[in-house]
Amino acid sequence: MTARRSHTGIGRREFLTRSGLLLGGTALAPTLLAACGGGGDGGGGDGRSVSISNWTSYIDPALNRAFTRRTGIKVTYTEDINDNNEYFAKIRPNLSRNQSIGRDGIVLTDWMASRLINELRWVQPLVEAEIPNKKNLRAALRSPGFDRERTYSLPWQSGVTGIAYNIDVTGTEIRTIDEFLAVEGTKTVLTEMRDTIGLIMASMGIDTDEPTFEKAAPAFDKLERAVRDGRISGFNGNEYVNDLGAGNLAAAFAWSGDVAQITRDNPKVRFAVPESGGMLWSDNFLIPKTSNRAGLASRWINFFYDPANAARLTAEVQFISPVEGVPEQLRKLGGDAAKLVDNPLVVPTEEFLAQNHIFGPLSGKEEERFDERFSQILGTG
Amino acid sequence: MNAFLARRRSRARGTVTSPAGRIGRGLVNLAAAAGLVYLFLPIFVIVLFSFNKPKGRFNAVWQEFTLENWADPFKDRALVDALGVSLRVAGIATVVATFLGTLMALALVRYRFRGGQVTNLLLVLPLTAPEIVLGASLLTLFLEPHIVLANRQFTLGFTTIVLAHIMFCVSYVAMTVKARLRGFDWTLEDAAMDLGATPTRTFLRVTLPLITPGILAAALLSFALSIDDFIITYFVAGPATTTFPIRIFGQSRTATPPQINVLATMILVGSVAVLAAGTAWGRRRARRLGLA
Amino acid sequence: MIDRDPEGRKRARLAPWLLLAPGMVWLFLFFFFPLWTLARMSLSSRPSRFANPTFDWNWSNYGDAFSRYGEQFTRSFTYAALATLATLCIAYPIAYVIAFRGGAWKNVLLGLCVVPFFTNYLIRTLAWKTILGDQGPLVEALRSLGVLAADGRLLRTPLAVVGGLTYNFLPFMILPVYVALEKIDPRLVDAARDLYATTWRAFRKVVLPLSLPGVFAGSLLVFIPAAGDFVNAYYLGSAKTTMIGNVVQDQFLVQVDYPVAAALSFVFMAIVMVSVVVYARLLGTEDLA
Repeated sequence: MTARRSHTGIGRREFLTRSGLLLGGTALAPTLLAACGGGGDGGGGDGRSVSISNWTSYIDPALNRAFTRRTGIKVTYTEDINDNNEYFAKIRPNLSRNQSIGRDGIVLTDWMASRLINELRWVQPLVEAEIPNKKNLRAALRSPGFDRERTYSLPWQSGVTGIAYNIDVTGTEIRTIDEFLAVEGTKTVLTEMRDTIGLIMASMGIDTDEPTFEKAAPAFDKLERAVRDGRISGFNGNEYVNDLGAGNLAAAFAWSGDVAQITRDNPKVRFAVPESGGMLWSDNFLIPKTSNRAGLASRWINFFYDPANAARLTAEVQFISPVEGVPEQLRKLGGDAAKLVDNPLVVPTEEFLAQNHIFGPLSGKEEERFDERFSQILGTG
Repeated sequence: MNAFLARRRSRARGTVTSPAGRIGRGLVNLAAAAGLVYLFLPIFVIVLFSFNKPKGRFNAVWQEFTLENWADPFKDRALVDALGVSLRVAGIATVVATFLGTLMALALVRYRFRGGQVTNLLLVLPLTAPEIVLGASLLTLFLEPHIVLANRQFTLGFTTIVLAHIMFCVSYVAMTVKARLRGFDWTLEDAAMDLGATPTRTFLRVTLPLITPGILAAALLSFALSIDDFIITYFVAGPATTTFPIRIFGQSRTATPPQINVLATMILVGSVAVLAAGTAWGRRRARRLGLA
Repeated sequence: MIDRDPEGRKRARLAPWLLLAPGMVWLFLFFFFPLWTLARMSLSSRPSRFANPTFDWNWSNYGDAFSRYGEQFTRSFTYAALATLATLCIAYPIAYVIAFRGGAWKNVLLGLCVVPFFTNYLIRTLAWKTILGDQGPLVEALRSLGVLAADGRLLRTPLAVVGGLTYNFLPFMILPVYVALEKIDPRLVDAARDLYATTWRAFRKVVLPLSLPGVFAGSLLVFIPAAGDFVNAYYLGSAKTTMIGNVVQDQFLVQVDYPVAAALSFVFMAIVMVSVVVYARLLGTEDLA
């Protein structure tokens, strides 16, 4: 017994050393990695840096680097916006209590921008003095209903919602919503209610400029039937990008620029504006009220209103630019970029714009009814 | 007599000679082997696709073999930053949870007291509660307007994540240490005190060294759980803090760079190495102490 | 001599509570108290759409929860039950072989069972998405074998979701069953054989009943998290396979309807807690460790 006891003495020193090393290592490793990795929260604490949240596939990363080279302002760019409602839910707890969201600039679609600007007042004005390029904003977008003087917002990109499909999986072209619903294979639509219901309403001849719940009811019913019959498998935000390319989707409601980017890598994936018309929308750059770097954020958006930069952005993301003079710049870039000038999805003609629809504004009550019915069909409401 | 029983035992166990018995035995072995293959199938896919050179932004279809992902595993800065956040959260949560949990385990295993059974039950409840409820309830806690500390309310972010992680890790640590302490010979303490040691000295020089491996095992478990936690973290992380799982969730919708697979494989290999080293060390130590 | 009970524990009054205090305070603050705030939220209502909800004994949230989400409730419990059954079928042979035929390799084999779960939960589920992909080798093989229709698929089906749940919670069944099987004294099996029982009979009459505590513990540890999961349904499912977890996640983090979401979570939690307490009373919580 005593002999065994004496071993404890030698053993213990080793235990303590080893356990000490292990615990030390465990504590040290994260610090080391943190030092290498930098902060995980948004916005650097030192010097001039700006933190932006945006949708995915909405920028050419080289442009951020060019901005930093030109101005010396570091950009922390996070692609964490996948859906307007989802992002709203993320920022709501903080902004409703005046707590920082760690961002100096965010990009949200018209109707959500309207909510933040008018109903909730959670954004602050852009610093005009830092945005001399604002004069390049296209006339058509200068004075929208929700922000008459563009005090709080500037459009980032506009786009068209239509149908994306993988010709290998469907075997045929798709030109109308009904063809979309009929084609065999896995199909999804967007969690963005205005896009999904808007497309269906348009296909049924229902006006979307002044939508009401009663007018939209048949479209909701049609959507619900399609889900129940299994003709629509799911609802998603940007996720269709992954599945289309991997062949897991036959067709999906999708956003024009996204699909153009997929087509670049995989020519089997095509975009079609439905014959009854697609949905036009704009995403807007906003500065949250809790940011203390409004000036820097304004300089950031100003950079993208220089026609040369705007053209580079458009050449990459292939959405509709809000900046005047982009077609000329695209021609100067030559090659594939120049060809985009003839693509109405990137440089839309008046005629093209007339053929597509906008989803009009909804009052609070109406929006609630729309949202509730929609999430019921999603299976989560 | 003992030798006779031992022979009988070795002959009876596992040496069934009837054909039906052999087939049955083979089937069970086959089922177990198939189960193990099933366990490793996704791992195989994950490791395999870390060597893939994807066409475009998603790593879902096998294109061609390449080593370039492994040459530059930290290419995706956002992913690495998120991993850093996860490691920091796990580090802090593990230290605090191990401390709190070990104390609780000691209390439950060393002493017999009124309320011991109830405490045991209460300790188990967080383990069995579904994560979605834990996350939701913590979210409502952090949103409560009436909870004000130093004139400020909770802000969803790094702190709230750490607080949440400590909570569920404490239960796991307590349960693990308790299990390891089962069968611990507490009379060793009595003997030490008989030899003149004070209770504190006894604890520090006799008890603690012997229970340290159990504590370390619990700490390791807590660390692993914290790094991997998604659901609870997703509810309380807020808009500005991204942990590794949250980053993967957000990113998986649009682009899956092979670096995700590379990092996952590295973490896997690292964990296995630590586990193997820990087991080998434990075995050597046990042998040296004459406990094995 | 210090008074010790058969398990070696000292009788004491104050010391254990001192040790327990810090941990219990933490659990109280961040586990029990949040349940109360959850309950409060479930009885709140929103004065306007995006304002913070205020407490006002609004019981209609519970009515909403039951009437709107009955389908998801039943679906969640069904999937969880199926997953529990599946994990049992897969885990039992593995645990049995390791416990009875593992010998010196027991710990290594057990480690092997746990190692796959050192990868991130989401990455594992995404790997299943790749494996079950429509263009992947598995689906093609099943189609050519005729098991699947020519245009059949595995993704976005209940089968994929249950499969994902089964895989992800497998170790929670393997470990408790193994612990229970390992505790069985092999001499009992010898005794059965001495009494001329076949291996199968010995298994049925001796091993199986003695392993039941492990089976029950494992079932609990699989069923509960599986019922509340949303990741598997999210990646592998469709609009018709949504579970309660998806609803709660959506209501909290997309629709921002906190009160109804809280009511839903609370009902779900209550069902789960009641079952846990009942099980614990029946079996004693010692075995759950």
